[in-house]
Amino acid sequence: MFVVDLILQLSSDIYRDILDSIIVDVASESHRIARLGLDRNLDLEDEELRLSVEARARASDPSHSGEANGKYVVDIFGQSHPAIANEIFDCMNCGRSIMAGRFAPHLEKCMGKGRKARLKATRSTTAAQNRYTRGSPLSTQTPYSNSTSMNRSSNGSSAIAGDDYSNGNLEEP
Amino acid sequence: SRRHSVNRPPTPDVRDDDDDRPKKPSLLEIVNIKLIESGEKERLMELVRERLVECGWKDEMGALCRAVVKKNGRENVTVDDLVRAITPKGRASIPDSVKAELLQRIQTFLVSVAH
Repeated sequence: MFVVDLILQLSSDIYRDILDSIIVDVASESHRIARLGLDRNLDLEDEELRLSVEARARASDPSHSGEANGKYVVDIFGQSHPAIANEIFDCMNCGRSIMAGRFAPHLEKCMGKGRKARLKATRSTTAAQNRYTRGSPLSTQTPYSNSTSMNRSSNGSSAIAGDDYSNGNLEEP
Repeated sequence: SRRHSVNRPPTPDVRDDDDDRPKKPSLLEIVNIKLIESGEKERLMELVRERLVECGWKDEMGALCRAVVKKNGRENVTVDDLVRAITPKGRASIPDSVKAELLQRIQTFLVSVAH
């Protein structure tokens, strides 16, 4: 037998061997998915549809104890909570008394839309932007102390006076 | 009783006189050992797996498997069932380019170990 024949025969055997191994791997993987029920999630839309149908059925089921009792929902300990959390505390931004369930929308207004709040916010962000741009002619001074990394990023182009900074390490010549 | 998913062939009985005679490994066995020890087999398998995903072959096999699962029932299907179901089509539907690439890599390897 010539070496060539030998090589052809061997390579064919090895090819078949590798292919069969891969086929077993694929079968094994599909088997695992099937036995674990993971193929039920493959089609996301159908799955979401199925879940919503199930949830609706559960909600409208009158024999379901403990779920919706009039206005309040009862949890597994038998406790009921109002739909909107009604503990009252003070907002740490403006100091007003706020209901917990209304705190998020309050913060949005309190930190975003209020006249004073908005001015305070824009002053600090525009100051930060000016520090980062090179060749910026503006010399903005903020009362906030600066870290050295910020100084390095503005290549000596922004005329920031060193007075207001707690660490006066300006490395530009 | 529970069917085992993976049917292992029974462990061969060890016969006493075999212990005296050293077994001569076949050429294929020798080459296979070299293939595995050099890491080339794993590289080749990774390469082929990647190619077969790219060309959609793996998805086709997956669909075939799902059909078998549906027919036999999720709890009743074994790995052997699936292997038997997809092997003929699996072997036949390998793209020519993938087959050629794999054979060429194997042959190159064989030539290199022949020296």
